[in-house]
Amino acid sequence: MSINAESGDPPAPEEQTAATAGSSKKRERLSPVPLDKRGMVDPSQMAPHQAALRQSVVDSFNAKKARSFLQRQVNHIAASRELANGIKFLFDENGRAPVNAPLEDIIEERRMVEYHLMWLESLVLEMRHRLVKVREIEDAALEVLAGASDE
Amino acid sequence: MAAPLFLLAPPRSYTSLVNAMIGQHPQAFGLPELCLFNVERLIDLWNGVEGENAERGAMARHGLMRAVAEIYCGEQSTATINMARAWASVREHWETGRVFRELVDKLDPLVAVEKSPSYTVAVPRMKALYRTFPEARFIHLVRHPIPQGKSVMAINNGAFTMRMGAFEIHEDFANLEPQIAWHDVNLNILEFLEGVPAGQQICVRGEDIMADPHAKLAEIARWLGLSDDDDAIEEMMHPERSPFACFGPLAAMFGNDPNFLSGPTFRPHTPKIPKLDSPLPWRSDGKGLYPEVISLAREFGYEH
Repeated sequence: MSINAESGDPPAPEEQTAATAGSSKKRERLSPVPLDKRGMVDPSQMAPHQAALRQSVVDSFNAKKARSFLQRQVNHIAASRELANGIKFLFDENGRAPVNAPLEDIIEERRMVEYHLMWLESLVLEMRHRLVKVREIEDAALEVLAGASDE
Repeated sequence: MAAPLFLLAPPRSYTSLVNAMIGQHPQAFGLPELCLFNVERLIDLWNGVEGENAERGAMARHGLMRAVAEIYCGEQSTATINMARAWASVREHWETGRVFRELVDKLDPLVAVEKSPSYTVAVPRMKALYRTFPEARFIHLVRHPIPQGKSVMAINNGAFTMRMGAFEIHEDFANLEPQIAWHDVNLNILEFLEGVPAGQQICVRGEDIMADPHAKLAEIARWLGLSDDDDAIEEMMHPERSPFACFGPLAAMFGNDPNFLSGPTFRPHTPKIPKLDSPLPWRSDGKGLYPEVISLAREFGYEH
């Protein structure tokens, strides 16, 4: 660990900026993407050839992302089916657990169901949130239309 | 008001763990990732800025929502997260610096400790932070570029490298190269810290804290002017006791690295520090680190 702390009162930030500027050798960024005024990378300023190559990496990244998302969903559906088949033995024809069901299996099943409920609840919450936003947009659009027809 | 402490580092540099450890000091309060200085006004955390926050906008708010719920209500639940939303709604047109300052004032006399790796993506963000807290202290946390790069590429297919524009451009193809992001983020931090008095900043290697946590954490505590007695250091060894070292309620589950949230317990270990001329695990052509990266890594004390 290197601690650069110095004793005494620190100078004001403005003074320190002037005092320390240029104290270390100037290094250049390695990224080929220029920065905008907010200091964020701005691909729109790249040369056309570089921008095209960059875009191909971005497209490939997005394709990989979409593929892994779909794979996860497929796995989830498959896992849900397997789970449904796997727990059949826990219940009798009336949907009740048999008297001799192993406690470990019941606890495991309870945990799994709780996990799935949590997952579904978060999905529902997200959908409701989206619905609220869509409704707001819809209401605003209808108001505009109503105003236009009045005129 | 107790001067806050900010950890500046690229992602995957032990930031979550170290932030929670320092935050567990009895005289400190470790915050989740607030991401406040990513935007100018609080409402922009909801609206996004030119789509910048569009992808993970909700997750960028989780830390703030959890922090407000914990600080003002003493617990994080669906009800208190709703309260936090109302709290934010009242302040939606405030500058984010003012919002941050209110939280720091509320925590006083505890030292607020925060790390949002997204601040280090752009120098103006760190400057905005410093303008708000000219008395703040900064820890520049560094990690060896090879394990850091490997870790970055393992998370979300290396999305961070793309965000940093870390492309290696060849004649007829391009590829993502995490060492560029490591270099440029550390450069951003160094450029920003040039404007910060030496007494308000230190540079710490994450591997050193992992290998000898008692000694290093005590050093940091002393530097911060906090107690370095055994009880305090023992408390810092338990980041899992932080109220933010777990998933939050459904409405604000994150606010930190999900890997940390699912396993926040600290296990002392000596991380393997590879040689700087080792082949890179994310490349199939056997190439190593760029000379610029090796030079910067040497400045951070990675000699071999």
